[in-house]
Amino acid sequence: MNGRQAVQVLALAVVLVAAVAFPFWANRTQPYYLQIAINIISFAILALSWDMLARTGQLSLAHAAFYGLGAYTSALVTTRMGLPIFLGMLLGSLVAVVVAAGLGMLTLRLRGIYFAIGTLAFSETLRVITNQLRFTGGATGLVVPPLLGGQRVPQYLFILAVLLLAVVVSWMVNRSRWHFAFTAIRTNEAVAGAMGVDVVRFKVLAFMISAFFAGITGAYYAHVFLFISPIEVYSLAVSVGALVAPIFGGLYTTAGPILGAVVLRVGEEILRSTVQRGYPIIYGLILALVILYMPRGLIGVWASVKSGLATGRKETREPAGP
Amino acid sequence: MSLLVLDGVTKAFGGLVAVDGLSLDVRPGEIFALIGPNGAGKSTTFNLISGLLGPDRGRIVLDGADITEIKPASRAHLGIGRTFQLMQPFHDMTVVENVMTGELFGHTVPKSLAEARRDAEAICHMVGLDQLVNRDVTGLGVANLKRLEIARALATHPRLLLLDEVMAGLTPTEARQAVAVIRQVRETEVTVLLIDHVMSSVRDLADRVAVLNFGKKIAEGSFQTVAADPDVIEAYLGTEEGDTHQH
Repeated sequence: MNGRQAVQVLALAVVLVAAVAFPFWANRTQPYYLQIAINIISFAILALSWDMLARTGQLSLAHAAFYGLGAYTSALVTTRMGLPIFLGMLLGSLVAVVVAAGLGMLTLRLRGIYFAIGTLAFSETLRVITNQLRFTGGATGLVVPPLLGGQRVPQYLFILAVLLLAVVVSWMVNRSRWHFAFTAIRTNEAVAGAMGVDVVRFKVLAFMISAFFAGITGAYYAHVFLFISPIEVYSLAVSVGALVAPIFGGLYTTAGPILGAVVLRVGEEILRSTVQRGYPIIYGLILALVILYMPRGLIGVWASVKSGLATGRKETREPAGP
Repeated sequence: MSLLVLDGVTKAFGGLVAVDGLSLDVRPGEIFALIGPNGAGKSTTFNLISGLLGPDRGRIVLDGADITEIKPASRAHLGIGRTFQLMQPFHDMTVVENVMTGELFGHTVPKSLAEARRDAEAICHMVGLDQLVNRDVTGLGVANLKRLEIARALATHPRLLLLDEVMAGLTPTEARQAVAVIRQVRETEVTVLLIDHVMSSVRDLADRVAVLNFGKKIAEGSFQTVAADPDVIEAYLGTEEGDTHQH
């Protein structure tokens, strides 16, 4: 292990210890912070889940669908069939995975904006159906039993563990041959196929992995906030949130979406408490500026600062050649 | 026995018949050139062989196995490698990572990332990209992008290599280097099917030549034979009509 890696491992260890210790402190002094932290972590998982799918060039607006399927499946099997909550959440994620495989097959040929609209239409359809059906509680929604007896500290640790799992999966994807397949498909699907990349298989797999994490986050939301309705869990705000954080933080990386989610939510909280009226305008303005002037997100800024320091020492770029 | 057989292959786009009842027979170890005016159906033929398009009629057979219906990735695994006329590198990857993609997915024997990188670097060296392995592909010049196309296709370890205008846009010196690389490829028992407009390169390289015009084969044989063929001369001189059939 070289010096740089040692620093990275140390930094990760410090963050992890702080993240695990945080709820025990917050629960005694600032319970509201614990609530915010749960929100941020859920948001970060959703963002990382969206990013893993985007790595194959599929820019989804269907994350509300997977989130909602997770929430409703778990809520229904625990209330109507009396299944244990953990089992319900697992079933919720699996239903999201199976539906994602189907949706992935259907949208294989769609590109860019057509893919986005197709996935949005799917999500909206689920919202309308859930709204109309009696057994889902219709527009009135459902009351859901609490996870882990409603205790905030274990609930926090649970969602932190899910985030860690998502980080490990994302990290492994980016360090394996999958990374090459995903990037090749995103850049040029036809060429990827000619190079031997099984395009259908990797696109659908990315959908399934992504949906698993979106589904479990939705199910978690149901059992922590104890009430769900179609307009809330199948909301476009969920899908848009899932894509804003990775773009803000830095696409196709593990750290970027998480960083984006944390900075966006913390920033939103600070704005909300300092600027009483009209804080969404300032929030929107900052978002627009970042997307316009920092196309590679926060991670990109960090990378250019680092390479700027490096080029100060020695010229690393080679001439372009003939 | 033939390595690649096209048997009456036809492909139409709407009313335009791009490839019309084409039959070809490529033997193992040879360099076979497909020439013809713009819009003659050469690149469409490549897309049919590599599986990016499916034919309306006809059969494509690789080493005795009918591959007409199978997807591009499976054809790559069976040994068909190709370059693209409009250079299409994978952006967001370095030069060596582009080549590694071929090493990782182009054949069925699994490779570790380290093995793939080592083998990809060897191929970069062979085509003259060894100084640029860790560069981003953005900003590479035409000659280096052409080299990258060849390197990436070679990384799939093809038995049949399809080269789509790898000489176009090169200086005479660069073209000579490319000819040397293609000869070197043939030494490794790879069969080469190439499309090119640079006639001096075709003359130097090709064992046999087929001439396409409006999707049909109008001549086949040695370069000297087809170059003297009156139909071929007419096809090349009757440019105005040919130009209107570009796709």
